Amino acid sequence: MKYIPKYLLPILFCAGILSSCAEKQDFDQVDNLDITPTAEASILYVETPESIINEVNGINIFSQIFNFDAFNEQFFADNVLDGVVTYEVENTTSKPLDITFEFLDDAGNSLDSENFSVNAAPTAILRREIAYGPAGRSLDIIRNTSAIRVSAINLGDNTSVSALPNPTVFLRSSAKFRIGLK
Amino acid sequence: MKSSLFPLIILFTGYISSYAQNKAVLYDFQEIPQALMVNPGMNTFYNWYAGVPFISGIYAAGATSGLTVNDIFAADGLDINQKVRDRAVNALSKRDEVNGIFQVDILNGGFRGQKDPANFYSFGMYVEGYALNYWPKDLAILAYEGNADRLGQRFDLNDLNASGQFINVFHFGINRQIKNNLTLGARIKLYSGILDFNSTNNSGYFETIVGENNLLRNTLVSDMRLRSSGLDALLDASDNGGGIGSLLTKRGFFGGDPGLGFDLGVTYNLNKQTVITGSILDIGLLYHTSDVTNYTLEGAASVEGVEIILPEALSDPNADFWEDLVNEIEELIPFEENSKNYVTLRPIKFYSSIRYNFGKQGEPTAACDCDNQPDSGDRSLYYLNSLGGQLYVINRPRGPQFAVTAFYQRRFAKVLALKATYTVDKFTASNIGLGMSLQAGPVNLYIMGDNLLSYGNIADSNYASLQLGLNIISWERN
Repeated sequence: MKYIPKYLLPILFCAGILSSCAEKQDFDQVDNLDITPTAEASILYVETPESIINEVNGINIFSQIFNFDAFNEQFFADNVLDGVVTYEVENTTSKPLDITFEFLDDAGNSLDSENFSVNAAPTAILRREIAYGPAGRSLDIIRNTSAIRVSAINLGDNTSVSALPNPTVFLRSSAKFRIGLK
Repeated sequence: MKSSLFPLIILFTGYISSYAQNKAVLYDFQEIPQALMVNPGMNTFYNWYAGVPFISGIYAAGATSGLTVNDIFAADGLDINQKVRDRAVNALSKRDEVNGIFQVDILNGGFRGQKDPANFYSFGMYVEGYALNYWPKDLAILAYEGNADRLGQRFDLNDLNASGQFINVFHFGINRQIKNNLTLGARIKLYSGILDFNSTNNSGYFETIVGENNLLRNTLVSDMRLRSSGLDALLDASDNGGGIGSLLTKRGFFGGDPGLGFDLGVTYNLNKQTVITGSILDIGLLYHTSDVTNYTLEGAASVEGVEIILPEALSDPNADFWEDLVNEIEELIPFEENSKNYVTLRPIKFYSSIRYNFGKQGEPTAACDCDNQPDSGDRSLYYLNSLGGQLYVINRPRGPQFAVTAFYQRRFAKVLALKATYTVDKFTASNIGLGMSLQAGPVNLYIMGDNLLSYGNIADSNYASLQLGLNIISWERN
């Protein structure tokens, strides 16, 4: 019995060091973790001076298809959840214009389009936001887009020149999409 | 198979190993030979000692600052997304970190010089792994919330700062009592690097602002690098279904990255009862030459989408503006791979202490055939109690870290010694540690742990460490 106190202290010490408690942890919560950043960037910018418009015979000023693979990149297409495409049209020329943006698939089929009728200068900048996803148009439009066609029709004449400095049509666009990383 | 190995590496680098490395309880614990490893200039009282292979020194520790496992994974009914957002993404700073270390003594022994008993020699081999990851605050915000609606906010690429190393260390040390009140020690270390990775000293930023032409402008200025050594061979061995053990052994026995380091230490008796000590450890470097793979991302680019400015843009009807944009970005910010050798410095550590001994328990009885006479040198072992303070500093990628410790040590004859510590550092201000050295004949068992108050809920602990070992000791004055 006299040896019990001698070894009791080290035994208690070892037991104390080697034992610990932990409140209940639920590591399955990680299944409910949503990592969904929202990324935004510009898409397409087109700048057309009035002098170019005046050089074109007829009303079709411009119709051009631009390759655009950002949306149908595998990672983006697989994980995009929803988003908004923003368009802005600024016209400082003397002509009313009709401008159309179209999203095209690999085969050149039109998946979606957005039309802007803009008055001759002076006129306000047109700005429009188009939603895609559950609260908007189908996300498949975005996923399958591999090109953008921009068309512009001159609804005025081919001679007048705006009194504003450097009269030009500016087409601006950007995209803001939420991506499900997890 | 590579993907199956990555989680193990992350686990290893993030949690099993630790980098706090402050062995506050072990420091100057003279009854334990392994204390020589944290101060080669410690006063020694052994004729010889032999650590039991593989179990003479086992040490593991982990530390997190700003966040615990419990903060995120407690079964508290709260939404984990809210917890991650409130407690991690929006709460942690770039100085918060997760780190870990483990050390296992393969061999450890020591003996007193026969011709010159003032000298004590120690030697051995141990493996060590550590990993350190600072919280990449800006990159975490970017990954968790994105760049949307954050015009003008610069995401700092310097926030990415992570490193890890797995090495085998061969060491030989000399400890000499220079004068009655002065003992000096030095140790040479030969490193054999097994695995290394690091991504430190990154710079640059990612920013979104209003565009000059288009609606938005995204700018990336980057000077980033990830360097690794030994990783590809490990992944290849994993892919081939084996050979990892032989690969680790080969690299651990001078088949890996060579390195050289030194430890220095001193003990000085101000008077019979007051002792000051100091040591500086791991002044050294490794030269990574084998199986090196480095990745770099250097350059600068600003993008406002595909830009078509007429009439110039229509001069080439076959132009692919998207491909041109992608190619231009890749030229401006190339992502490149190389195999250039590189050097890493070991994390230098500094210890110092002051100790006051009191409660004399008796003079030594055996004569000593050495300069270490009974009335000379550090007489701490002949006092029942020691009280003092310690300072610890470690050099880290974001600047030195400090820890201050107060301790009390109590001896129970020659059988048992206990040491209690209270440490304050960046991880916790309530770190109570305890250590015990039990001497049963020639057998010495020691065990020690840190931050014991957190053991009530270890998942909520910011810091925890455990160290234990078994030695055979022949005492000089038995």
